[in-house]
Amino acid sequence: MNTRLLATTALLLLLGVPASAHRLDEYLQATIISVEKDRVQASMRLIPGVAVSSIVLASLDTNGDGVISEAEQRTYAESVLRDLSLRVDGKSASPTLVSEKFPAIEEIKEGLGEIQIQFTVDLALGGPERRIIFENHHQNAISAYLVNCLVPRDPNIKILTQNRNESQSFYQLDYSQASIGSDPVTVKGWSTIRGRMGSVGFASIFRLGMWHIAEGTDHLLFLLTLLLPAPLLVLGSRWAGFAGVRLSVFQTLRVVTAFTIGHSITLALAALGLVRVPSRPIEVLIAVSIFLSALHAIRPLFPGREAGIAAFFGLIHGLAFAVTLAELGLGRSERVASILAFNLGIETMQLIVVAATMPSLVLLSGARAYCVLRIGGALFAGFASAGWIAERMLYVHNPVDAVVGSVVHHAVWLAGVLFLISLVCWSLPNVLDRRTPQPDRYPDRHSSAPDVRTVADLLSAGNAQCMFPSRSE
Amino acid sequence: MSVLSMRTTRGGLALALICSSLTIARAQTATTRIVSAANTFLSTLDQKQRQNVLFAFDDEKQRTRWSNLPTSLVLRAGVNLKEMSAAQRSAALALVSSALSRRGFEKVEQIMEGDEVLKIKEGNNSIFGKDLYYISILGKPSEKDPWMLQFGGHHLALNITIAGERGVLTPTLTGVQPALYSMDGKTVRPLGQESDKALALLNALDDTQRKQAILSYRLADLVLGPGQDGKTIEPEGLKASAMNERQRAMLLDLISEWADIIHESAATVRMTELKADINETWFAWSGPTTATPGNSITAYYRVQGPHLVIEYAPQRLGGDPSMHVHTMYRDPTNDYGRRLTAK
Repeated sequence: MNTRLLATTALLLLLGVPASAHRLDEYLQATIISVEKDRVQASMRLIPGVAVSSIVLASLDTNGDGVISEAEQRTYAESVLRDLSLRVDGKSASPTLVSEKFPAIEEIKEGLGEIQIQFTVDLALGGPERRIIFENHHQNAISAYLVNCLVPRDPNIKILTQNRNESQSFYQLDYSQASIGSDPVTVKGWSTIRGRMGSVGFASIFRLGMWHIAEGTDHLLFLLTLLLPAPLLVLGSRWAGFAGVRLSVFQTLRVVTAFTIGHSITLALAALGLVRVPSRPIEVLIAVSIFLSALHAIRPLFPGREAGIAAFFGLIHGLAFAVTLAELGLGRSERVASILAFNLGIETMQLIVVAATMPSLVLLSGARAYCVLRIGGALFAGFASAGWIAERMLYVHNPVDAVVGSVVHHAVWLAGVLFLISLVCWSLPNVLDRRTPQPDRYPDRHSSAPDVRTVADLLSAGNAQCMFPSRSE
Repeated sequence: MSVLSMRTTRGGLALALICSSLTIARAQTATTRIVSAANTFLSTLDQKQRQNVLFAFDDEKQRTRWSNLPTSLVLRAGVNLKEMSAAQRSAALALVSSALSRRGFEKVEQIMEGDEVLKIKEGNNSIFGKDLYYISILGKPSEKDPWMLQFGGHHLALNITIAGERGVLTPTLTGVQPALYSMDGKTVRPLGQESDKALALLNALDDTQRKQAILSYRLADLVLGPGQDGKTIEPEGLKASAMNERQRAMLLDLISEWADIIHESAATVRMTELKADINETWFAWSGPTTATPGNSITAYYRVQGPHLVIEYAPQRLGGDPSMHVHTMYRDPTNDYGRRLTAK
């Protein structure tokens, strides 16, 4: 640091700029967050130090004409927002640019320019205890961050805790929001749903349920990871070949149904106020459930008992669903209907996702390549859940949210590509090893050294499914 | 806040007002003194200078035209000492001095002197110097109607609102570089008390209290520096309600380094208000918890209460953070005396 400081000071002296006036070798990025009932407003001040201004200017005045055009301003502001990672109650949220203001290029060169960016994040309906995670990765090699939140103007909102990492690039805000159902006039979103409960209400809560699971990546990741080995047979302590279409469909239905029964029970219990559980341990347990199913997808931990596991963790996932529903502040009669609507929404979206992915898995599961997908998927889920456990339990900030968020962002494309690949594999007999379920053949195969080895083999030595038969067979 | 403490505050304020007005009534009131100093100063100016010095009381642009930066980098308005004749200059400084306590004015002089030291150190760089400080008056100097006196330049921004007998110093910025210099064979530390008293308070805390007071993250600069008027951030650190009587007294003594810059009668009112708030006041620290004896701390700290934000932010610029500091003194509920002057 000292040599860097010396170097920049020397640079400044060369440039004839006094070393005692302005920001020097840091890009100061100060964010002030203001939480309102249905949105977060944030204002960022970005001040490049004189020694790093050229780095910032390079991405600001992209055509290098010495002027920051309006288009360049907009592009830069958007790029700053892209470098942020925002999560609200565990779901990734995207900021909307409200305004941007740029100083003259000369001011930036002198380390005096202050860029101002304002953005908002719409808040979906949430529980009484909410969490916002704000991460700033913009120019992190040269930046110094500051993040603070204003004392909320809304008397119903109380800040509970603020957690940051040392550099303040990671900021976590926990706050409580008093039951908004008690004051329907001030809460527009909820009051509309409440008001329409008679006619449209069912539909909007149904949609809320669908939206909730589509955005709640952790719930789907658990289910999909658990379904990864569904089309496979077990051989000893390893995953073996394709179990056949009928068995695969049966296994899938069992897991999905068990998960549904599990989360329906706790969702109903919690939403009716019969069970109360703090949200943080639930979030941790959900991450643990993903981690276990990832391990199971690599090597069978609980073969044949997937349905039981799905039901058990379904109970925990249901408690998380209930947090969203709890804030409806509905009367007793409405509550039963809304639980039903919300749950149906969840089931529908869940079925859509299963229907979009399972055929590909079944088609692929006979192929040699399937173990790559299974192990790769399991590793992804494993890393994601480990990241979530670290974050939710120990406040260790990590890029898992951002990574999972960007994967989910392309979910439809990914599902399409996966289906295409599975069709190709299905139609090419060379790629596809159409093994019929004959477990007794495998021990022999295992003893003969396989001559086809893949990266996945090395990754997961000991997976029977990845021990491919030799080509001569 | 409970009804009782509201009452205590009001009672205290009233008492302080009565006391201060009684003291002042014996001689001349502070406001009378300041107004007459202002009129004397204005009478020394020519037509053009007077035009440059005077602004409308509600001129928001001029109110917020202050910074920690040198005056050539962030342009100030008004008239600077350099452009004045000797008589004008002494009238200007007499006006500033009339609005401040003795120690307050001394602090201001030492900050300006520090900029002169910096100028010489930087090879006589013309962007620094003790004559590059600007004075401006918003509204008409009056004993009844509110008006403002501003004085500032590099590392200094005094925003003094006078409303009848009340005087408000928020928002005010003090800073200095170098934070330690010798003058006529004596060591001068313009903001040394701000550093030493804070460190003494930190050292007076027990382990549990320290854990709460010391933040786990780095603060590179002021959070509520220039341009950040009226913002109340969520307080952090150790709440004074968890301090003992002696620690609370130390905290108040630390606060007085800013609150007592203004003239005595206004400072008494202000300290009474801050004393009433003390249990709702927070102390937060970030950075090294020791300092080289005789030198200033290199840590950031913040004191925040319902009517107060104090920030002390050492600056890396210049190489040694103990030698360069910016501080901010605010009342987010009373920027430029808005609470007194709101209609």
